[in-house]
Amino acid sequence: MITVNDTLGIERNAPAARSFSQPFWDGTKEKKLLVQFDTSVGKYQWLPRATSRFTGRRSVLEWREIKGEGEVYSHTLVYRARPPFQGKEPFFIAIVTLPEGVQIAGNTVGITKEEMKIGLKVKPYWHPLPDGYNMLMWQKA
Amino acid sequence: MAMRDTAIVAYSEVKTVQKSDRDVWEIGAEILEDLLNKTGMEKGEIDGLCLSSSTTGAGNCFWSQSTADQLALEVDFCQTVDIGGCSPTGALARAAVAIDAGLCETVLCLFADTAVRESGQRQRHYQQEWTVPLGVLGPPTSFGFITSRYEHQFGLDYRMLGKLAVAQRNGAVLNELACEKLRTPITIDDYMNSRMIADPVRLLDSVMPCDGGSGLIVTSRKNAEKKGYTKAVFPIGYGEKTSYQFSQNIVDVTDTGHMPAGAKAYKQAGLTAQDINSFHPYDDFIIAILIQMEMLGFCKKGQGCDYVREHDFNFNGDLPLNTGGGQISVGQVGLAGGGTNLVEAVRQLFGEGGARQVKNTNNALVTGIGGIPFNRNWNTSVAMILTPNG
Repeated sequence: MITVNDTLGIERNAPAARSFSQPFWDGTKEKKLLVQFDTSVGKYQWLPRATSRFTGRRSVLEWREIKGEGEVYSHTLVYRARPPFQGKEPFFIAIVTLPEGVQIAGNTVGITKEEMKIGLKVKPYWHPLPDGYNMLMWQKA
Repeated sequence: MAMRDTAIVAYSEVKTVQKSDRDVWEIGAEILEDLLNKTGMEKGEIDGLCLSSSTTGAGNCFWSQSTADQLALEVDFCQTVDIGGCSPTGALARAAVAIDAGLCETVLCLFADTAVRESGQRQRHYQQEWTVPLGVLGPPTSFGFITSRYEHQFGLDYRMLGKLAVAQRNGAVLNELACEKLRTPITIDDYMNSRMIADPVRLLDSVMPCDGGSGLIVTSRKNAEKKGYTKAVFPIGYGEKTSYQFSQNIVDVTDTGHMPAGAKAYKQAGLTAQDINSFHPYDDFIIAILIQMEMLGFCKKGQGCDYVREHDFNFNGDLPLNTGGGQISVGQVGLAGGGTNLVEAVRQLFGEGGARQVKNTNNALVTGIGGIPFNRNWNTSVAMILTPNG
């Protein structure tokens, strides 16, 4: 039986945001999942970018809050990692497809090796970071 | 396009080692000297320098100039190509184009990296913000996603990945330039039993970081004829694709840029997959070979395992595959690692494969894979077809 680390005990800070991704990180302080939306084509995009991946336009982008309930697109159980994860393996990283048409990656909380499968329904788990931000993780819906 | 009006007239490769005791420029100097010896050229005849990316040089934004300075090469064309693992084949393509356009006549393509001895890289992309905080190791994690997804969509017989790993290892056993640690035979069971790195990616799926280098002399066909070289290899088809389908959020990660890049290369060469004599795909992970077989038309999408089951990939098999061992069994020479399979293809077409010489040398297909983007397969795909029959 392999015990999967939920990574909650691993010390980490929010990464340095870029000028165009700061709104996402600010949103996590209130556990809000903010995603860029291109109003000209009516589509969301992830990762945050300095421009629309669809049109190459900036003025058409706005931030919208989404619920974040979706299903696992793919996953890997990591057995080898760098500090501060080193020695804390194994842990999951899952890519989740959301109904808004974006895919967001995250660690998982409370999902066993036996339970993990493509198509598993998941929802956000917000893990507090020392600097007031929250890390988006995935738990069973 | 007349890339085919250029000729590779010499190749060189140093032994791949786990950690070099020599500076990257000393490796470059050894390759230069070997190429001068093989071509009988004077240094002054080289009027172009085209480098692959180098992890060691990555902190130096004057890399190609600094290398030209260190090697004392006075050139009319000087460039570093930074499309990751596609850089060596991409450098060859750019050298050919520069020669054809008249910018220069004879180019040293140099692929040297000592990533283990000295990494100069400070990457600036999405990873620090979006994947490092999740404990992503890098490529193994990404290929874990790709492999899980492939298995979900098509089913995956891992023993067939093992068969590819074994065939490449057989090549490394016969290749004295391969990293010594990797020159012992393996079995499919060894592959299956190797430890997980990023489940379902195993240790024997993965490249081992190493130091080393390789290089080519490329010149105009006219000059090659004038100098009377008896051996030459010509690029007759090339395709390159960066950011394949990146205008979409959600893609099928088992579709890669090798499909359009390969189609372009085949069209230029007037060949199909069924005409290819030996296959030298970029191999950072074994699954990448399987997917490229599908994308490049050796078999249909999703049928890679059946194809692998039915064919023999040893040097004397029906589709010789990375006959020197590939990067997975030679060792990955950092960002110059694409040179390993490229130079092996040229070696085979020169008829200098020695104990692992392939029988059919009408052509060879070489590919590249470069960069690991967020939730995709890779940033850049290249495909090049070479022939000794000008």
